[in-house]
Amino acid sequence: MKSFRKLLPYVKPYMLFAILAPMFMCIEVAMDLLSPTIMQHIIDTGIANNDTAYVIKLGILMLVTAVIGLIGGVGCTIYSTRAAVNFAADIRKDVFKMTERFSSENMDNIGVGKLITIVTNDITAVQQALMMTLRVFVRGPLLFIGAVAIVWFTARELFPVLLAVIPILMILIYFFSYKTGKLFAKVQKAMDKVNTKLQETFAGIRVIKAFDRQNYEIEAFKHVNDGLTKRTMAAEQVILTLMPVMLFIVNIGVVVGMWMGAIKVNEGALQVGVILAFTNYLTIIMNGLVSSSHVLMQITRSFTSAGRIQQVLETKIDITDSVDPLSNDEIKGEVEFKSVYFSYSKNGEYVLKDISFHVKSGDTIGIIGPTGSGKSTLIKLLPRLYDPDLGEVLINGINIKEYSIKKLRELIGFVPQKATLFAGSIEDNIRFGKEEATLEDMEKAANSAAASEFIDKLDGQFTHELTQGATNLSGGQKQRLSMTRAFIRQPQILVLDDSTSAIDALSEVQVQQALTHDLSDTTVFIVSSKVSSIINANRILVMEDGIIVASGTHDELIDKNDVYRSIYATQSGKGGLSYE
Amino acid sequence: MSKNSAPPVSNAIGRARGPRGFGGPVEKAKDKKETIKRIWRYMEKQKIAIVVSIILVIISTLLNLLVPYIIKVTIDEYIIPKDMDGTLRFLVILAIVYTAAAAFTWLQNFLMVQVSLKTIRSLRQDLYEKFQTLSLRFFDKRTHGDLMSRVTNDIESLNNALSQSVIQIISTVMMVTGVTIAMFILNWVLAIVSLLVVPLVIFTTKKIISYSSSNFIKRQRDLGELNGFVEEAISGNEVITLFGQEEKNINKFSVVNERLRSSATAADTVSGFLGPINNFINNLGLALIIGVGALLTVHEMATVGIIAAFVNYSRQFFRPINQLSTLLNTFQSAIAGAERVFEIMDETPDLLDKENALAIDNLKGDVTFNHVHFSYERGKPILKNISFEAKAGEKIALVGPTGSGKTTIINLLMRFYELDSGNIKIDGRSISDYQISRLREKIGIVLQDTFLFSGSILENIRYGRLEATDDEVIEAAKLASAHRFIKHLPDRYNTQITGNGSNLSIGQRQLLAIARAILADSDILILDEATSSIDTKTEIDIQKGLNRLSEGRTSFVIAHRLKTIENADRILVIHQGELIEIGTHKELLKQKGFYYELYESQFNI
Repeated sequence: MKSFRKLLPYVKPYMLFAILAPMFMCIEVAMDLLSPTIMQHIIDTGIANNDTAYVIKLGILMLVTAVIGLIGGVGCTIYSTRAAVNFAADIRKDVFKMTERFSSENMDNIGVGKLITIVTNDITAVQQALMMTLRVFVRGPLLFIGAVAIVWFTARELFPVLLAVIPILMILIYFFSYKTGKLFAKVQKAMDKVNTKLQETFAGIRVIKAFDRQNYEIEAFKHVNDGLTKRTMAAEQVILTLMPVMLFIVNIGVVVGMWMGAIKVNEGALQVGVILAFTNYLTIIMNGLVSSSHVLMQITRSFTSAGRIQQVLETKIDITDSVDPLSNDEIKGEVEFKSVYFSYSKNGEYVLKDISFHVKSGDTIGIIGPTGSGKSTLIKLLPRLYDPDLGEVLINGINIKEYSIKKLRELIGFVPQKATLFAGSIEDNIRFGKEEATLEDMEKAANSAAASEFIDKLDGQFTHELTQGATNLSGGQKQRLSMTRAFIRQPQILVLDDSTSAIDALSEVQVQQALTHDLSDTTVFIVSSKVSSIINANRILVMEDGIIVASGTHDELIDKNDVYRSIYATQSGKGGLSYE
Repeated sequence: MSKNSAPPVSNAIGRARGPRGFGGPVEKAKDKKETIKRIWRYMEKQKIAIVVSIILVIISTLLNLLVPYIIKVTIDEYIIPKDMDGTLRFLVILAIVYTAAAAFTWLQNFLMVQVSLKTIRSLRQDLYEKFQTLSLRFFDKRTHGDLMSRVTNDIESLNNALSQSVIQIISTVMMVTGVTIAMFILNWVLAIVSLLVVPLVIFTTKKIISYSSSNFIKRQRDLGELNGFVEEAISGNEVITLFGQEEKNINKFSVVNERLRSSATAADTVSGFLGPINNFINNLGLALIIGVGALLTVHEMATVGIIAAFVNYSRQFFRPINQLSTLLNTFQSAIAGAERVFEIMDETPDLLDKENALAIDNLKGDVTFNHVHFSYERGKPILKNISFEAKAGEKIALVGPTGSGKTTIINLLMRFYELDSGNIKIDGRSISDYQISRLREKIGIVLQDTFLFSGSILENIRYGRLEATDDEVIEAAKLASAHRFIKHLPDRYNTQITGNGSNLSIGQRQLLAIARAILADSDILILDEATSSIDTKTEIDIQKGLNRLSEGRTSFVIAHRLKTIENADRILVIHQGELIEIGTHKELLKQKGFYYELYESQFNI
């Protein structure tokens, strides 16, 4: 509830619409409430007195109220839509802006899947809630209150019927909403199970076929399918009971009303027209209650969405520029780590412990070690994807937090472990690295990344379109394209995070040569599990369990360090361990 | 990722929505009759319930038709003449009729919901079973989102239609006919007046729907574009951050967002008009009935009771008509959805066991490829004239640049796809002579992309051999060197795997996949680049275990690290779909060909 209120400021620019809509709805409601009364008068005055002129007059009045009601309804629709859609579009923009500024840690905390749902589904839910509020949530209660009031004033003798019927209806609605809410939560869970099974089936179809587990999977699916059916049946049976029961109560109310009315008519205290009007109002009351509760449910469900949206909007971006960020143009790639400690979970379990080293500008540093040793984490601190818990990272002798983030990242060309590319042309993707890149620049970078070989063979070459997730390229091709994107920056610092794992040895040599020739002034960090990738580095850092256990050139490490030696041995076959 | 415009659950709750609700574009089915026939075939199993339901619909509709008449009689002949006894009598009758109508209505809905849910349960199950019979070629051509949408959204919309629309259509038809007859019987002048507005209803509804449809299509398109963009931007957040593309991305987003702003406004406004307009027409009709009815009554051509009856009848008449358009839409979407489901059901699996296929219990492991040609897409050959022989127990290494066709060779050996030409023989027989399920059982494979299912680690490893005991699973894990990390996990073997193993590192996932393959204890082993991102220490352990395992078994290994395969019995060098060199490591080095180049370039020592 609170979170919904916090989003209300987004309505402010459209306050006019938000006020006009319910006002127009009031007009429509007023007209709807008027018509049974007009009918009553036609019957009790016009017919009773055989007054044709009166009947015609009031008949026309009814027509006029219908037209006014139409204007009210249409006006409400127009303004409520405007208010809600604009409200949502503004929120969406701000939420998206926020997510773009998210650091990797912010992202990890919320989760990619959840974030996507928030920007898409949750905002739609909130939009619907606002629209329903401005339309039905005004209409329902107003009709209800108006009808009750009119009955009180014009058919008080029959009012007791309402006193009995309305509380019963309210209890029914409350009870059913509560029950269905719970049952549908169960349905949703069952649905999630079905969806997960499906998604896993499609994603893992090769494994299913390879292990010949079709029948096993079919049985498993039967299980979740039956579960879903059972839960859905329970929920739907409850829902389908509500309306007949409510209608029944109202109809009995009509019967009782007619009885009481008949008595009064008998006594001469009431006229027939009142009975008719009363039955109409009773129906209006029921409809008002039902639609109100309906909308209330929808609005309450949107509260969770509002909460999630607020979570995003209120996220504290933890990687921000310092107060007076530096933005010098001449920054060389001298890098230093000073006693850096880092953990993802911030609970004392450090993934990097006391990391200290110094790199001269233009050097190539190799980082090698087993999975989970912290290699990728270490280099992610360079472009400030994360900030260290303790210690400092310095470039050119200055703590990187002092630099403007924009400038810092411009210095760095990063090739991440997973080659993420975007839908669009190859050109568009490469231009990520450098907006103003010319065809020449791109060709040169592609060459260095050993990517020209396959790009040249594609239709349209650089203008070749990639699908979402670049599924039309192989793993190795994606990696090479990802490298091209980084190379084209001519960065001061280049980071290659296990970027050649899917590339064949020949291409890797090509890349290494390019690094030596074209990017000789660049400080290069190569993270790899293959000795062959880092063998020629100026220095190699050997990592294990978040600590640097050794550092030196290849030859020095072969001499001094056991860990390195054994890694080298298995990969080079000199120890002969490969297949024995 | 499937994109639904509204989760199916809330559709169910929103079903009581009246004329004010109008959710989306109408989808047109291509061959309605045929599809309806097929849906019927599924529903047929519950013929009795359906028939009973229909009978109940008829009865409850008739009862409902009776009500206004009873009211008329009550008012005219008992209330106005102040006959209390008569009034009481007829009111009791009215109460009974109401009760009966409520009970029958409830029962008919109850039955139809059962029918509907059971029908879609069978449909869902059959669809899933169909998926399991289709080959990889089918899955290559389609996105997961599309397939999921068919099983969930399309079948769900069928549920809505079956449980509600069928009844509503029948009762609407009956009601409308019945009301018309009743009105004419009571007072033909007033009847005509009442029905005057019907053409108006039909006309405006049609207009609004067609206007809305085009707007909806635009909105759906913009929504789809936005969602796709958001998904990419958020999943690719790291890269966008690294390359400082935030501003640019926000601008691109704004463009789509603004487009959605206008199309959503248009769509929701026009569709929102339906409610007020229907309301207006109802009120118009009411005004006419009451006005004309009153005039007639004054001139003794009608009575107050008749007016009351007509007011009721017109309500009974118009409520379903207002909902008719939504009803027909639901129906249309359901048929269109069902069509998409049947489209899948009609797919013929292109990889079937031939008649009398052999059910083998073991394979010795002699493998021969004879002039094998293959392409995933016609005209783009991936393998050209591959021929080689592997004797049982040999270790064959496949080497070559990415995209050269190594993985494809493995796919063909597993009979995931059919060859264009040539043949593959195991133990002297073409692989198409064997039952596919038996063949694949006997070939163990660790794939390039490890895939783990949600469930415990124990269950995932046991996938390799469902009847394996816990001890056997742990033994396999030890052989794969996975036991080491598993025993350090808080829940050990009961640790739940989520989202394809995202709670484990890449290396750990591969170890589990290897344990799974070890447990499967197959006769032929295939390893597809499985060990390339595991640290070398673990790799040694795995290789030790795999060596133990592959003793006596034919095994094929694809790896980029030449050093790991130099002890293979034979190396196949694949380049651009062709087998360019075969031999042992030493023999190939002597040839100073492609392999030699590859080898030298890995270590310029």
